[in-house]
Amino acid sequence: MAASGELWLIYALGGGWGHLTRAAALARVTCSRQQVRILTNSPFAPQVSRALPDLDIVALDPTLSPAAAREQVIQHVRAADPSCLIVDTFPRGLGGELADIIHSLAATKVLVHRDLSPRYAAEAKLNAFVRSAYDLILIPGEGEGAAFADIPAAVVTEPWLIIDPPPPRDRVRQPSVVVCAAGTEEELSWYGAVVTVLQALDDRVEIRCVAPECPPGCPTKCWIEHWPAADLYADAGVVIGGAGYNTIHECLAFEVPLIVRPWPRKYDRQWLRARRAARRGAVTIVKEPREAAEAAMAQLRHPPARRSHRVRNGATGAFSRIEFIRSGISMPTLAVTTYNRS
Amino acid sequence: MNPPGGKCPRRAGFLFPHECDRDSPIGCRECDNGQVADPFTQRTDRYGYTGYDQYHGLGPGGQRNPNDFTEADGEKLVRSRKKYEDDMTAS
Repeated sequence: MAASGELWLIYALGGGWGHLTRAAALARVTCSRQQVRILTNSPFAPQVSRALPDLDIVALDPTLSPAAAREQVIQHVRAADPSCLIVDTFPRGLGGELADIIHSLAATKVLVHRDLSPRYAAEAKLNAFVRSAYDLILIPGEGEGAAFADIPAAVVTEPWLIIDPPPPRDRVRQPSVVVCAAGTEEELSWYGAVVTVLQALDDRVEIRCVAPECPPGCPTKCWIEHWPAADLYADAGVVIGGAGYNTIHECLAFEVPLIVRPWPRKYDRQWLRARRAARRGAVTIVKEPREAAEAAMAQLRHPPARRSHRVRNGATGAFSRIEFIRSGISMPTLAVTTYNRS
Repeated sequence: MNPPGGKCPRRAGFLFPHECDRDSPIGCRECDNGQVADPFTQRTDRYGYTGYDQYHGLGPGGQRNPNDFTEADGEKLVRSRKKYEDDMTAS
């Protein structure tokens, strides 16, 4: 249990898995030393709570109207009276609801700066807002956030990982294809089509399609419900997924070849993240299901050499940064948790 | 016809789709006076850009050029009427 009675509140509103997973990565490394709570409206909060029952997760109803969600967020933040408010991605809150209260909070304010649409940043004048409202800006991975990188309070950490340490590899098992399916109905159908093509190309290959529900077109025998998907990467010869924050950074960190299909999002620019990743690792950008399946089969036939390397979890460094900004001591270098990965 | 006092609901654009700027289809060459439901998908003058939502051209060998246009370019280039902070399921 946490040693301190003060509460760190992580604001992780936003659709899908990404905001909640990033918040859970930070909460996992924080909760043994600090009381920490995650505020989310992700529909997948129950799955995360089941996997990490020790985490304090307050899940708002994901079907609330924007007005009702804003009201509940404000009520919760005020009632929690956190000593530290950590806001993921949206400086003003997803519905703009933090803008009116953040300056009045006594808490240390930390922004986790995932990529944001520059159009939104300009329209909402976010740079000036962040400068005035936040004490620390954490950029979770090189190149991830550019809108506020010029602010002196901005610090880049290694990418944050939910698996810490990474799962060991089973060297005997035949590498599988892991399909990480999430998103809209249309996107789930795309992944279902990928599984169909993969089976048609080679029905001996083990396919594990990880998704909260079986995607249309995906045989139920290939479907698995599991979180975090990164647990499955150790035995994967290749992963097929979207270009969201966690999929990209987990595959790069664990050196699993990734076939990536960037999807359009209102605030996140998945194409840009995918292109950056393609310059750094075994990442192939695709658009059509057949393209994805063929690229995955090519990866299985000619697997890239995986070197023994060290995986760093930026969430650990992020925790240290927050502790030090709260202590008022400047700190030029940070300790990070490092694991040998072989 | 457009809804009274409303904007044309059709999509226009050459390479990247965007909402039509017009208040009425009358005299509009894109939708042929309202005869074409989705003018963007009906265009046939994109040359190497073969169809709806295909932002990448094809090279001589039929291979996709990975450095060609993407949805992200579309987001950047098209004038947006997108409203922000109104969708609590966005990411």
